[in-house]
Amino acid sequence: MIHRTVKKIAGLLALACLAAGTGGAADLKGLTKELFIIPSTTGNEDLLAGRIRGLLPRGLVVEEEGLGTIAVRFRGEAGPTLLLAALDGYGHMVSGITPEGYLALDRPVAPPHARFDAYLLGQPVIISTSHGPVQGVVSQPALHLLTQERRKTLVEGFTLENAFVDIGVRSEKEARAKGIELLDAVTFPAVLTELAGRKWSGPGLGLKAVAAVLVAVAEALATEAPGDETIIAWAAQTKFTARGRGARPAVGAARARTRWQPARTVIVDVAAAGGGDGSPALGKGPVLIEPKDGSTALRQAFERAAAGADTAYQSLAAADSPLAIPFTGPLSEVLTVALPVLFLNTPSEVVDLKDLQALRDLLEKFLKPGAGR
Amino acid sequence: MNKRITVLVLISLFSAVAAAAQSKAWDILREIVLVPGVSGHEGAVADFIQKRLPAGLKVERDGMHNVWFTVGSGKPHILFVAHSDELGWTVDKITAEGRLRVKPGGGILPQTAEARPVIVHTARGPVAGVVAPRPGYDERRSQADVPEAPFAAENFDIFLGVGSEAEARALGVAEGDTLTARKTMTDFAPGLMATRGVDDRAGCAALLDAALRLKAGAFRDRTVTFAWDAQEETGLLGASELAKTLKPDYVFAIDTFVSTDSPLESKRLAHLPVGKGAVVRAIDSSNVTPKTEIRKVLAIAKKRGIPVQVGNSRGGNDGSVFLPGGAVDIPLSWPGSYAHSLIEKIDRRDLDALADLILAIVAEWK
Repeated sequence: MIHRTVKKIAGLLALACLAAGTGGAADLKGLTKELFIIPSTTGNEDLLAGRIRGLLPRGLVVEEEGLGTIAVRFRGEAGPTLLLAALDGYGHMVSGITPEGYLALDRPVAPPHARFDAYLLGQPVIISTSHGPVQGVVSQPALHLLTQERRKTLVEGFTLENAFVDIGVRSEKEARAKGIELLDAVTFPAVLTELAGRKWSGPGLGLKAVAAVLVAVAEALATEAPGDETIIAWAAQTKFTARGRGARPAVGAARARTRWQPARTVIVDVAAAGGGDGSPALGKGPVLIEPKDGSTALRQAFERAAAGADTAYQSLAAADSPLAIPFTGPLSEVLTVALPVLFLNTPSEVVDLKDLQALRDLLEKFLKPGAGR
Repeated sequence: MNKRITVLVLISLFSAVAAAAQSKAWDILREIVLVPGVSGHEGAVADFIQKRLPAGLKVERDGMHNVWFTVGSGKPHILFVAHSDELGWTVDKITAEGRLRVKPGGGILPQTAEARPVIVHTARGPVAGVVAPRPGYDERRSQADVPEAPFAAENFDIFLGVGSEAEARALGVAEGDTLTARKTMTDFAPGLMATRGVDDRAGCAALLDAALRLKAGAFRDRTVTFAWDAQEETGLLGASELAKTLKPDYVFAIDTFVSTDSPLESKRLAHLPVGKGAVVRAIDSSNVTPKTEIRKVLAIAKKRGIPVQVGNSRGGNDGSVFLPGGAVDIPLSWPGSYAHSLIEKIDRRDLDALADLILAIVAEWK
């Protein structure tokens, strides 16, 4: 009787495990959607960090770092190996309130490209205030009243000088009553577009998808410990680079290096797709990025993991990014593994769900006991 | 105790009656603004309007999807007209890579659609797409003094998520399908919003709301026609068709007043604030309203306590095509900031005032 009961329980457990396994893809989509809606720009990462913390498996101790970086640690024999992704995306912030109640804008960091600010013209935005989200629009001139001369200055030459956010109030006092403060993050509304071919599109989607992959990996490691001691970190202020001469490392990454002193570091990032010959493509798997003279041992470990997981991957030779720079040196290895993103750093970043799944599978395989060495 | 209950019941009944007479234009607007209807493809909007019109009206509809009804008899004949079409684009070609090229629909700054989601309205239903950013958008410009090529609708390259023409066609996409920008509603506060297509769905909503609140006694000694016309944005074509058969004495075109209530524009003209009432358009690019008629509108509005502003702006209106036939054109509006954009702004108080003004004119115009 007892034997039969044990068998029954074992069967149910197996079914539950199977269900959890098949539910993985759906969970990753769900995690991505959960994080996609949370605004996060450099210096304003607290909401996203809080949401990630809430999604992590119970029982994991979340380590914090002074600027807003969060991390979870899994014990293992060697290491540590650090998996590091960014918490912060590019965006804007409130830099002033006019007497009429319009908001002036600035950026916390340099833009990723010259057209970045121009995408604001005539668009809805969300201002993340301490009172909650405030809806607004970036003013644009009415087409009927636009002379050719003003078209050049206000439309084709649009800059932050002409960017005013209308939040539907008439005075600075009313704006402040809505909770508006200087430095509040200003981002595009998180509207997800589900395209054909299992592709999704939206503002800041690449960053959030990568963050979701690491949450999924943390979930997996919570049930099956990795081979090495592993730290998974979501770093704040990665778009902000340290000042000074020479290479300019990302501040968030430099602090992560100081704090965790990893032997091996995997930067989990995004890579621009669709740029033509030699550039990554959507749907062809994660992108392994390293300089031509990069650390081959870590790369080889990933190649073996990819073979073991039956996962396609792409390769790209590129100089170390500000995220990777702090981890380069004779005593440590670093490799960037990236999610290909079409239309990167526009309000409609496109990711392929197959790549998302493959990135998770690859990282999980790499971290399995014995697989990453 | 019983007295108190009776008073409460009476108050509730009074409130219910009062609410029934109140404008529902705002709720109608929030629904109708989401119905796709690019110029020349207004069928779904016409259906929306026709379905909601009171039973018993003799509603007419032509091949262009102009919808109208006439009540009452005698002189004067008063026509109210709002256009049901919206700005958008049309699929011109599907490339071998499954991308879409479009014919411009005019009216929207193409830069504001760059790297933005759009909806393709196919025979099989909506298909999502993204207007690709211009080639080389992410390159650092080496020669900042060399002007960039303009980003025009003719250069739109719309990505659907597929990689071939066959895959695009398998989604149901075909040449001639229309596209609209994906609409996002910005709710600044209850009764104050911005979205695409307020021009002229707000006019449609005000007119529909007025139709739903029309009382039989209001048009005993006059003829009143309410019309929702097609293809205004592409040259007042629907109104021109209506003008072949309708010969009103007065036409009230219900459409956006292009306001400069924004931080970017000169206040030299069109500076009527959002939230301060309906508008009589004194002058636009297609019509000069006689001062005597403006005064008549203002007098009716004052008598009924309806807030109304008077302003001069640009843009045309459907009423102008009835001018050669002998009508007097008196365009009515709400003050709309950011006209012809993805963020057309409107205040509920202005819309309600407009609907109330329409009803007041039906009852009192002489």
